[in-house]
Amino acid sequence: MQFSKNWLNEFVDVDISTEELCGQLTMAGLEVDGYETYHSKISGKDAIIKLDITPNRGDCFSVLGIAREVAIANNLKLKMPSVKSIKSTLPSPTDIKVCSVAPVYVGRYIRNINLLAKTNPLIAERLETSDHRLIDPVVDITNYILLELGQPLHAFDHEKIDGDIRVRYAKEKENLTLLDETEVALSKDCLVIADKKKPIAFAGIMGGLNSSVTSDTKSIFLESAFFKPEVIRGRARRYGMQTDASMRFERGVDYELQEIAIARASTLLNETVGGEYAPIQIVQEKKNLPKKIKVSLDIENANNLLGYKFSNSKAQKYFKGLGLDPKSTGKKINTTCPSWRYDLNIESDLIEELARLEGYDKLPQRSLQPLLGRKKVSTERLVSNFFVSQGYNEVITYSFIDENDADLIQNKKNKLKVSNPISQNMSVMRPSLWPGLLNTYVKNYKNGKSDQKIFEIGSIFLTDSKGEVDEVNQVSGLISGNLNSIHWDRKPEPLNFFDLKGDLEKLSSSLKLEFSFQEKSIAFLHPGKTASITLNNKKIGYLGALHPKIVDLKGLKNEVYLFSLNLGSLDLNDHIKYKEFSRFPSSQRDLAFLVDRDVSNLEITKLIKSKAGKDLTDLIIFDVYQGKGIPEDKKSIAYTLRWQSKKRTLVDGEVDEAVENIVHFLNKKIKAEIRE
Amino acid sequence: MDITSIKKTALGKISASKNAEILEGVFKSYLGKSGELNSLLKTLGSLPSDQRKEAGQSLNLLKKEIEESYALKKLSLQSLAAQEKIDSERVDVTLPGLNKEKGNLHPITETINSISTFFESLGFDVESGPEAEKDYYNFEALNVPADHPAKDMHDTFYLNNGDLLRTHTSPVQIRTMEQRDPPLRIICPGRVYRKDADKTHAPMFHQIEGLVLEKNASFAQLKGLLNDFLTDFFGQEMELRFRPSYFPFTEPSAEVDIRWKDGWLEVLGCGMVHPNVLKMAGVDSKKYSGFAFGLGVERMAMLKYDIPDLRAFFENDHRFLKQF
Repeated sequence: MQFSKNWLNEFVDVDISTEELCGQLTMAGLEVDGYETYHSKISGKDAIIKLDITPNRGDCFSVLGIAREVAIANNLKLKMPSVKSIKSTLPSPTDIKVCSVAPVYVGRYIRNINLLAKTNPLIAERLETSDHRLIDPVVDITNYILLELGQPLHAFDHEKIDGDIRVRYAKEKENLTLLDETEVALSKDCLVIADKKKPIAFAGIMGGLNSSVTSDTKSIFLESAFFKPEVIRGRARRYGMQTDASMRFERGVDYELQEIAIARASTLLNETVGGEYAPIQIVQEKKNLPKKIKVSLDIENANNLLGYKFSNSKAQKYFKGLGLDPKSTGKKINTTCPSWRYDLNIESDLIEELARLEGYDKLPQRSLQPLLGRKKVSTERLVSNFFVSQGYNEVITYSFIDENDADLIQNKKNKLKVSNPISQNMSVMRPSLWPGLLNTYVKNYKNGKSDQKIFEIGSIFLTDSKGEVDEVNQVSGLISGNLNSIHWDRKPEPLNFFDLKGDLEKLSSSLKLEFSFQEKSIAFLHPGKTASITLNNKKIGYLGALHPKIVDLKGLKNEVYLFSLNLGSLDLNDHIKYKEFSRFPSSQRDLAFLVDRDVSNLEITKLIKSKAGKDLTDLIIFDVYQGKGIPEDKKSIAYTLRWQSKKRTLVDGEVDEAVENIVHFLNKKIKAEIRE
Repeated sequence: MDITSIKKTALGKISASKNAEILEGVFKSYLGKSGELNSLLKTLGSLPSDQRKEAGQSLNLLKKEIEESYALKKLSLQSLAAQEKIDSERVDVTLPGLNKEKGNLHPITETINSISTFFESLGFDVESGPEAEKDYYNFEALNVPADHPAKDMHDTFYLNNGDLLRTHTSPVQIRTMEQRDPPLRIICPGRVYRKDADKTHAPMFHQIEGLVLEKNASFAQLKGLLNDFLTDFFGQEMELRFRPSYFPFTEPSAEVDIRWKDGWLEVLGCGMVHPNVLKMAGVDSKKYSGFAFGLGVERMAMLKYDIPDLRAFFENDHRFLKQF
């Protein structure tokens, strides 16, 4: 809402600077977006003020409404605009029928108008400074009244109306071409103004083209109606046409304003376009008017909620200023809310009015006393601090990604899509954090950063067969490039699968959990370099190399390694109990085996453990070798085994016996040969 | 037997020893099993008794002198050796260390953590909720019925399964009130989404919602708490302005501005929880009152770190990230 200060002054004689006025408006809850001084050719020194009106204050979508607030703030009287009664010289040719959601319809027939007349320069100037285009004197005046009083008016070309005026619901798919030439197919919950044959306006939203005022128009029918908010709400948005009228009707127009508005419009029209006037026709269904809401306030409740001391008389004074007609009974103040305030319905609303009029800055402030919270350590914070300490940078990428990227992860039917995306590359809710990480990596890579370790914590979105969203909080990371890429003392070493796995193992032990890793393949990752991560027999994530096809697709040269972990499964294990450790010397043996290439370390260690006896304390792999000196389908794999008893020193014989058992068993199970 | 000459030679050799090994050799040549001095001492018995005493005394004196001289030399050689070792091992301590690369938290996370820490010290619990949300939790339970004009305040993203992307973190309030009984003090940080994108708006951003639900929770406490919070966050007393505003889920509602450069800057929205919201969440509004507040994390981070463009947060340029 944008208006001139001089216009406001016609309603309230306030003699303060624009800056002070804006301060008052702001502190009354009418946010000032800005103001600038303006020199009016007609009224002299002026200022243009722009307000952001919140949806609850439909009453302030007019100069009158704003003036009302200014009058209250400055203890001044509100002046209503001048209305000269115009002698009617014509009968009313039109019959009007209303309905329950449009309980007031005021109309006037005006004939022989001069549309070639020029709009009054002051009106023209004010419309323009309020950001309204000039159209013709009739439309300009209806717009002027809309801005001035907040009452939307509409002028029909009377000759285009076929018979009487009916306010009714539209028929299903009833067509109407609107003033802006868009054609809409209305639905049954839309209200229309219709004549005998056809709808001529989308009530409260926009007039129809078929009944519009044009340069040939000689006679008009002026409408000043009250449509209930609930019959306008949602319709304008549904048809994508928020208008000045719909914005006011859906927030609530003063239902006692229609007659004043049409009288004021007639005065201005008569001054500009002349014409002959029929009497003002008022059709009203009193029983369907909104009920005046009665709200009572317990002053003690107000004082408790605000932490303040309002006296009963002060509260009454404020309510009186607001037009609430306060009556005090005991501790209570009973009020009746005026026809223009749709936002006052319950006690809290009145408490806000008291706070507002007293000034929020005058209300006291008290510190909140600390309490003991539950103090749960956040897994997210532990995990993010861990990765930061390992050299990873945290990134935050959008939760919606490009559909092409999503296709690399999941099949089409499980996708959760944004129905109204901001752009095509932000149209699917990510089923994985990997595309975001990878794209971040690629962008930084192109900026010359080839060594990267990054991670992100956030939700991924999956859907089940019923379309229900399964939102999973994950941590995912990416590494690529070299370790020590430039260092005076070390040679650069390309990061590989085991660098990443090591970080995850370190995370696991820092959370006092035990992750286990198994060969597994998953979309996006290299089928031969991917492991699933499980915790307590539950799959909680994956790690692996980026699939070679995607490496190509993204034009990368480096190998890229990725992981993902479900954060919900990572509860810090803080139930640690001390275990007695052995103080006896340990015995150690190194064993190297020749095995088939595809036998995994996990398999071998399981076999070793099954035969090593309960005193085996350490089993450490120290060498894996394939190549020269070894048959092509074999590999050499070597372990250090350490035994230690909690009760005594072990003798060589028992350790040798265990070794013999292991060697024998491995030979039997996987044809492992011991290497000397 | 020329003790004087032996002494001169022996002490000279000791003093000239260049290292511990040579010194040891010299020592042994005099006082080893078959050392010169030891051999002389063994011959004492064959001397006439009148000479024996005098010769014994001077030999023993010599032995003592050699031993002392040897010990001194040994010490000096040891410290010399230590010094040589030290000198040879000296490093340039100004060379960079190994594996010093540390990552950084994203400035948004840093900001959330710093804000959360303040509220946690007052007994607030950190709660979270889904980002793909039901209309009920995002709007209806927050006193925004279908078709309400207040919906226009939020440009909502809808999902193909009928859900929406939450436009604020307020739904977490409702979900928490449904699950936990008052008294409650919670904050809910998280991602929110609005269909908007320019220099000051991103289609995704972060909010922190706070809720206090207690007996006698008051607007005065809300003012006090936010004043304390902003002082803590900016590390200095801030000039605040509470002004009336509108949120469907609070009544009275307020916006909080801080004095920033030459004007006021909006940083927070807040208010007393609307009785309708309490009612829908099953809280007895006669017994408990509550207040809630919400802030945009990006805005706070931009102020704290002096970042001019909101979009930088989601570009994740390493030259940006490494600064925090």
